[in-house]
Amino acid sequence: MTPVGIHSVGKGLALAGALLLLAATPARAEPPKARQTETDRAAAALAAKIDERFAKRWKDREVQPAPPADDAEFLRRVYLDLAGRIPSAGEARRFLDDTSPDKRRRLVDDLLNGPAFVTHWVNVWRALLLPEFRTLDVNGQARFFEGGGYSFEAWLRKQLEEGVGYDRMVRELLTAPVDGLVAAGTDTFAPRTAQPSAVTFYNLKKVQPENLAASTARLFLGVRLECAQCHNHPFAKWKQEQFWSQAAFFAGLEAPGDKDRPRPFRDNPDKRDITMPGAGKVVPARFLDGGEPKWQDQVSSRRTLADWVTAPNNPYFPRAAANRLWAYFLGTGLIEPVDEMVGDMAQNNDPGGLLDELAGALVAHDFDLKFLMRAITASKVYQLTSARTHASQDDPRLFGRMTARGLTGEQLFDSYALATGYRPRPLVTVIPSLPNVAPPGVPPRDMFREQFLSTFANQSDRAADSQTSIQQALALMNGAAAGGLARSRTVTALADFPLMTTAERVEALYLATLSRKPRPGELERFVKYVDRGGALADGKEPQEKDKTAALADVLWVLLNSAEFKVNH
Amino acid sequence: MAIPTLSRRDYLTLSAAGVIGFSMSGWLKVLADGTAKDRKRKRSCILLWMNGGPSQMDTFDLKPGHENGGPFQEIKTNVPGVRISEHLSRLAKHGDRLAVIRSMSTREADHGRGTYLMHTGHVPGGPIDYPSMGALFAKELEPPDLELPSFVSIAPNNLVPAAQRAGFLDPRYSSFVLGAGGLVDFTGAPPANYEQLLKVQDSERPAEVSAAQAAARLKFLEEADEEFLRDRPDGPAASHRAAYRRAVALMRSDAAKAFNLGEEPKGLRERYGNNLFGQGCLLARRLVERGVPFVEVTLSGAAGANSWDTHSNNFEGVKKLSAVLDPAWATLLEDLDDKGLLDTTLIVWAGEFGRTPHINRNRGRDHWAKSWSTVLAGGGVKGGQVVGKTSADGTEVAERPVDGQDFLATVGLALGVDITKPNVSNIGRPVRITEPTAKPIKEVVA
Repeated sequence: MTPVGIHSVGKGLALAGALLLLAATPARAEPPKARQTETDRAAAALAAKIDERFAKRWKDREVQPAPPADDAEFLRRVYLDLAGRIPSAGEARRFLDDTSPDKRRRLVDDLLNGPAFVTHWVNVWRALLLPEFRTLDVNGQARFFEGGGYSFEAWLRKQLEEGVGYDRMVRELLTAPVDGLVAAGTDTFAPRTAQPSAVTFYNLKKVQPENLAASTARLFLGVRLECAQCHNHPFAKWKQEQFWSQAAFFAGLEAPGDKDRPRPFRDNPDKRDITMPGAGKVVPARFLDGGEPKWQDQVSSRRTLADWVTAPNNPYFPRAAANRLWAYFLGTGLIEPVDEMVGDMAQNNDPGGLLDELAGALVAHDFDLKFLMRAITASKVYQLTSARTHASQDDPRLFGRMTARGLTGEQLFDSYALATGYRPRPLVTVIPSLPNVAPPGVPPRDMFREQFLSTFANQSDRAADSQTSIQQALALMNGAAAGGLARSRTVTALADFPLMTTAERVEALYLATLSRKPRPGELERFVKYVDRGGALADGKEPQEKDKTAALADVLWVLLNSAEFKVNH
Repeated sequence: MAIPTLSRRDYLTLSAAGVIGFSMSGWLKVLADGTAKDRKRKRSCILLWMNGGPSQMDTFDLKPGHENGGPFQEIKTNVPGVRISEHLSRLAKHGDRLAVIRSMSTREADHGRGTYLMHTGHVPGGPIDYPSMGALFAKELEPPDLELPSFVSIAPNNLVPAAQRAGFLDPRYSSFVLGAGGLVDFTGAPPANYEQLLKVQDSERPAEVSAAQAAARLKFLEEADEEFLRDRPDGPAASHRAAYRRAVALMRSDAAKAFNLGEEPKGLRERYGNNLFGQGCLLARRLVERGVPFVEVTLSGAAGANSWDTHSNNFEGVKKLSAVLDPAWATLLEDLDDKGLLDTTLIVWAGEFGRTPHINRNRGRDHWAKSWSTVLAGGGVKGGQVVGKTSADGTEVAERPVDGQDFLATVGLALGVDITKPNVSNIGRPVRITEPTAKPIKEVVA
């Protein structure tokens, strides 16, 4: 078949593409000095403390930890975790060829400061804070419409771009000004402005104090209160009155009128109690630790709650944040479930005082989550290989090897697009009355990406539990993405570049997909396959087009492999 | 989790067989031949989903003579006392198979929320990812070695993905979707390409990939995954390989023939109706026949009526939709009976809610969750009865209110499922198939 697309724009581009895949990108003019800042030293010290605790833990529990991950495994993992995508072939080469001893630390620095970090963590926080998008009707629609309404995504992006502390982000969410804004109707969405606003959070919790109390406690305090909403449970820690006294902080919020239609929010910021349904009892707002709020003039109930939640000495908040982050990077929390750290359900995997250590460090660094990310990714625990070398590594709660985790739809798509050289096309909405307005800073939607994301929507909150459906397999094997691989920019670039050996082409495909070089057996297998013209019948003389088709086959195999599909 | 997996050898054999065009007669045929006669066969469920919320007042709970009643007449069925709309005359011949529930009372009058509630028995938005009843019951009812997906959904409204998913259950129970048109066709025209829509998406290799190439790809893939999984047998990687193997089995084996409606006699196909819903019902029968435990078929539109969401011109819309529903449902009952499958197949008719008894200025009816109807029919059901009652004007449930949990529990019992059985939820807490508070309608369960 004649390659189209890239061919039509001229050979120059294809060559440039191949250069990216092939070239050992010239090292930076001058390798940056291993400048260690104060923060770097502190992060390294914390990483050492993490490792100390696990060294002891493993000794006590007779765990033989897995060996360290090699550069390629670390590279792919840390890209997926911080940037939400695999590295490009060029980025992979550059890192693998780099011989400086602190290259892992520098890579983490680069990724934390890069644009992909913001995009990826917008997705992470959005999925966490607005889980309704997964279970609620607005799901498919929300992806379209939210871009045009008050944009939660734009709000998150702003927080991340400004690099605000986690405490400030939560405070802003809890105190988001909503008075006079428009509450969405159940059937109808708010007017399509593109204003960054956290109001979507309130909208999706249906503006109900009990929903807001339950989700904020779960998200920010690691405390699950819902069970106490209706009645006291004999063995549960939280009593019904405690639930409602937490809800009372949100009692001033209302959106009166026809619930089916957009209508204005009203906020009575000074309301400080709530009536328990059924019982008719009026319960005053009170903190979960039993503390009595010190009310001040001109300070709203939500603000009073936010100040308590985000205070450095809050017994739950820093621990919940540190635990969530740990679970994100290691697949399992130091306490599980991360949403229910307090009570009989909680399972403690802490090797001893580690969570307190991490929480303390977070507070000491002004709730800068990036600081904890630096420390965790620098630890030996995070940098263990995911390959199993001993049976004692099987219990994920002992962290004896890295747990393989599934990718989110976004991680998979963005990696797939990068590996194949897919260029996004702006989404053209099929409903003319709903323009595809992207709020400032939010990337425009791509139609193919949207379809892909709906096929690959995550089923599980826990990446370690993520699973593949038959349809996802069929879509990757035979779907729109798989069909045109021979015409993908990656394959055409490699096929058109004259000076490459087959071995170099195969190697480039490995770097573009699995971020590593092929092992000798793999290389031999695929070189042989490509050189003989792929699946060409025996005895026929392979033409260039047969070799191109064979390269597409190799790319297909790599993209469909479990190794590509998981973060390991 | 007993995921039937193929050994590496089986897999390679299958791949090779497919390539050379050898027909795998396989175990599925044995299974299919055995189904109808097997007395111990577990039940299957066909959910006829009425997208948009069908009007109870113009289908199964008519109020002739009342100002809310509208122009439709009520007709007798073959069971005295069970009376339904004149536009369901073919179904009326099977009144003895129907249990009409006239006292549905839920509180969700929003399409998304109602759809979620009626599929899962729970209101949406909490931390627990509840499974759709399709997944819930597929897990309980699927026969071992089923090569086909255990929950197939035909033409669902994909604005509510959670209603089609396994939630906290193993995602292999998520619906296998056919005929997802994607976005609604605003003209209301039924999709003309329904034949195409009912084929399995992506089940064939891309046109530009030769059979030999496809075989080579699969062989290399199996080798690569084998190597990777040897060291990393973790859940996501294992699930990846299991899904690929099931997908390949589906592509290669006889199982996919279930989707070939061309094997059915022309006359029968016409009786079902030459439209997406009618042919979807026929496909449901073919799947049930082959052991698929749960099939959902959605009726979203008919020529001139784009859904049951009849805010205006309700009567015109309901009449047109009934003309699609009536032959398809009646034929489904007859066809299942002919095949000896009716006693083991439960048919559920439901939408996300009903419609206002009051007729609005546009001759329409709006969303109404307070008093509406659903119907159970076929296997596991004591037919020929009406359960519950609404007030004379239709605005209140007068007797035996049934909520989402009660409804789910009734379906579960009719399917012979132990509804007290717990599953482990995504938050690690066991969640029963239905809550202890659910009050199943025992009198309709055979």
